[in-house]
Amino acid sequence: MDPNTILGAERVVKTFGGIVAVDRCSLTVAPKSVTGLIGPNGAGKSTLFNIIAGLYRPDDGAIWFNGKRIDGLPPFEIVRLGLTKTWQIPHELRNLTVLENVVLAAKDNPGEHLLNLFVKPREVVRAEKMWRARAREVLKLTQLDALANEHAKGLSGGQKKLLELARALMSDPSLVLLDEPVAGVNPTLAGSLMDLIERLRQSGRTFFLIEHDMNVVMNRCDRVIVMHQGRTIADGTPASVKSNPVVIDSYLGG
Amino acid sequence: MAIDTGTLTNIGFYVFVSIMFAMLALGFNLQWGYTGLFNAGIAGFFLIGAYVAVFAITPPAPPLIIGGIKVYPGHLGGYSLPLPVGALVAMFVSGAAAALVALPTLRLRADYLAIATLGFAEVVRIFAINLESVTAGTIGIPGIPGPIEFNPPDAFLNTMTKVAVGAAILLGLLIVLQFMVESPWGRVLRAVREDEEATMALGKNTAGYKLQVFALGGALMGLAGWFFAITINYVEPSGSFAPAVTFSVWVMVIVGGSGNHRGAIIGAFVIYGLEWLSVQLKDLAPKFLADTIPYIRLMLVGVLLIVLIIYRPEGILRERKRVLR
Repeated sequence: MDPNTILGAERVVKTFGGIVAVDRCSLTVAPKSVTGLIGPNGAGKSTLFNIIAGLYRPDDGAIWFNGKRIDGLPPFEIVRLGLTKTWQIPHELRNLTVLENVVLAAKDNPGEHLLNLFVKPREVVRAEKMWRARAREVLKLTQLDALANEHAKGLSGGQKKLLELARALMSDPSLVLLDEPVAGVNPTLAGSLMDLIERLRQSGRTFFLIEHDMNVVMNRCDRVIVMHQGRTIADGTPASVKSNPVVIDSYLGG
Repeated sequence: MAIDTGTLTNIGFYVFVSIMFAMLALGFNLQWGYTGLFNAGIAGFFLIGAYVAVFAITPPAPPLIIGGIKVYPGHLGGYSLPLPVGALVAMFVSGAAAALVALPTLRLRADYLAIATLGFAEVVRIFAINLESVTAGTIGIPGIPGPIEFNPPDAFLNTMTKVAVGAAILLGLLIVLQFMVESPWGRVLRAVREDEEATMALGKNTAGYKLQVFALGGALMGLAGWFFAITINYVEPSGSFAPAVTFSVWVMVIVGGSGNHRGAIIGAFVIYGLEWLSVQLKDLAPKFLADTIPYIRLMLVGVLLIVLIIYRPEGILRERKRVLR
């Protein structure tokens, strides 16, 4: 596999009953990039994300992450390898506080193993303390620190999007799949969210995002992949994709 | 007004039976209140615990045949083991049974777990009724040893011992369970309850947690079965382990407050309290009313449940918010 790709999909197929959601879709994502995934509703973008994250098992094809084949692995093992996804519709854990939501996303917390509670209680307390401090930093980064001890169900739609990002960052991923990160977020907040993503990219993380906001896609992504009817139909710089007649025809409109 | 030992014995009976229900409610609360796993077969794990304990702690009981007629079919085991050993064996076997039932269904939607456990509990009970050589069938197993045998027999001391043993176990359980659910481990359980798919995407092996919790809850129900055996001193499968036991425990947890251990215990004392009171009142009430009192109790429980669901859906004690420092 090309060393210059962090993520690769090879002829991935997923059908639901008679509907072919993803149809022999192949694509690659370069490390330390912000890569956009666009396409009309029903193009198979979210389904592809769910396949990559291990939530759906593809009917055919392969997914590679950092040179390792990951299709068929359970989601929790994929997260361990450093690949995390956020949800298009926020999946906040409603009756947990914002801080609990974020602490939960820590990857190696010994206190999450029942036996450790009794065998090494000191290490459990120490690690939990460390992860809480880390979670507070992440909350500061995502401007949610003032809401740390509120139930997640009380957050606004935009704040829930921020919580999604905060949880993703907490697992210290090398690749983050963001499913419409700024949909429903006000323009100012959306701007600072994308600034944050840019800063995180500079610190070495890769972002692969689905987005319908063309401002975000054209100004913030290095590369844009276009999906239509389950396949990639275009792949290139924002400018080249924007002027691609096939893309204009199927998605952007003339 | 002095309270005589007879009244105290009577109240003591109410307390230790409530403690037994509280053990069942704690098990179900761990599964449902904390983790969102619906168990419709509480009675089955309770039965397994009771019978396994009985096999372990009773003296040998061979079949009794008088004049060619089988008077008593005998039962399995009869190892005369100490009571605490019986408790451990009962917890282990009930927990293992819960894990076995859960294993094929945990990956499926929640309703399948409910169907599987409901079916399992009835199958277990029907086996217990019909496998006479193992369980003595509907004749039941009498003479199960209690915590301390007083000589000469003393009903008051006997009851108070049972209350003391039960209260000590319940307190211990409350402390350990509280420590467990307030840990990072417990936080994952609550996350699974809120949204299993999201928890999975956050890197947790949710199936593993569900299996652990189902087994632990089953073990608590097994412990309740052991406590039933050593306090009632008689087990019989058709009535004591009927599906109605499962339904009672649901009501206890919902009324007391799911996701709160103390709530589950209070729920057990309140709901069994209504049953116990209705029995007490039956003796005092005028004759024309006496026969209807059990039905009035059932109505009362129903009304209580409806009023609670409308005005306080979280139960008497609500789950508290965890403010982390």
